Amino acid sequence: MKKLHIVLLLAVVAIAVYLSALPPGKMQSLQGGFLSFLAPFLRTGSAVQEQIGSMGKGLKTLDEIEADNRKLNEVNRELLTTNNLLREIESENNRLRLALDYRERSVFRLLAARVISRDASTWWNTVKINRGFEDGLETDQPVLTEVGLVGKVTTVTKNESIVVLITDETCRVAAKVEGTREQGILSGMRIQDSGTSGELQLNFLTKNATLEPGQKVYTAGISNGVFPSGILIGKVKEFRTRALDGQALVEPAVDIAQTEDVFVVVGAK
Amino acid sequence: MKAVIGTLAACIGVFSAFLLQQALPAIHVFHGARFVFVPMIFCYAAMGLPFPAMLFVAFCTGLLSDLMYLHVVGGRVEIALGCSIVFFVIYGSIANGFRPSYLRGHWWPVIPLGVICTWAFLLMQFAMISLRREEFVFDEAILWRLLAPGLLAGLFVPILHAAVKPFAALIPENPRHAGKY
Repeated sequence: MKKLHIVLLLAVVAIAVYLSALPPGKMQSLQGGFLSFLAPFLRTGSAVQEQIGSMGKGLKTLDEIEADNRKLNEVNRELLTTNNLLREIESENNRLRLALDYRERSVFRLLAARVISRDASTWWNTVKINRGFEDGLETDQPVLTEVGLVGKVTTVTKNESIVVLITDETCRVAAKVEGTREQGILSGMRIQDSGTSGELQLNFLTKNATLEPGQKVYTAGISNGVFPSGILIGKVKEFRTRALDGQALVEPAVDIAQTEDVFVVVGAK
Repeated sequence: MKAVIGTLAACIGVFSAFLLQQALPAIHVFHGARFVFVPMIFCYAAMGLPFPAMLFVAFCTGLLSDLMYLHVVGGRVEIALGCSIVFFVIYGSIANGFRPSYLRGHWWPVIPLGVICTWAFLLMQFAMISLRREEFVFDEAILWRLLAPGLLAGLFVPILHAAVKPFAALIPENPRHAGKY
């Protein structure tokens, strides 16, 4: 091997080592820049897919009616989501105010977003949405639909963001089971069966917990946590006892594979 | 000249493969395995290009791969930026050793090399994730997701070769380097 080749090889490896030593924030900003560059390609692909999907509808409906319908649907779903959140918060608020005189909790401000691409990786469950820091998005903001929790924002670029889904093993949520005092940490599985809505695991439950299939699982809303309390995550599918704790398998409320429109909780009203 | 055009073509090919991978859906019959063309295209380029050009392509491929699949949750990076660069540099150096054979017209070694490269790349990702998450999980679905993309990419090589060969023949060889490898 020539000396020049060895020097070049060492230079490339040195750059790679330097890149690997960058702090996570810096890596994310580099990724953000790359995704911004990639955005037109992703959007074009998404638009083409959408056009193909709605070809039949487009021939039958006027553009204005379609736009109006979409807008009304969006508003309707936003109201439904807000209503669900309000109902949960109201009941919890009343309970806490009565018992401990807790301070009244705030209502969430939701930002509608559209899924522009789904993950194409073998190991991770993420989606990209068409909202970025220009729209007020920040990392770790919860993402949900009117049905339930979807995930949280991880990387934010100018006009796009990456959302890690609750079906991913790295997305951990403090969760509680309806009608019980059981609380645990919920996460996705390493590998999810494709073509299904996925499966979640709720760990660190008590061994003698009496959970029945169909019981609803909500976010627990721990202090300084990412997810506010009372958002529906899914339903208990199965409960099993392990050596040290109990584990529930949970079916997600949201069919993430089919979800196209989501809301990001951007703050309090 | 040929090397420069080849390097550019390889970079464009790798970038296009990333976009194609992004657009193609998971294969349900193979437990959600995905099409992974990038290591195969990289292997093809690494066999055909001179060593410095291969290093450049390895750097671009690794960087694009890391940026595309960087997964940061709660400040934890699963596969740090740069890891794929090292992988592609190492694997590219091995593939580049087959360049003399490639220049003599034997292109077929790219099939086993590319298949193994795809497997090794996915296995590296899986191993790094497992180490980060401090738990090795292995089941049938994981096996399929590791093996199926390589095999599918292997089937794709003859098409790639058939597409590249006519264009490569059109580019004149530098007279000083003609016949050398």
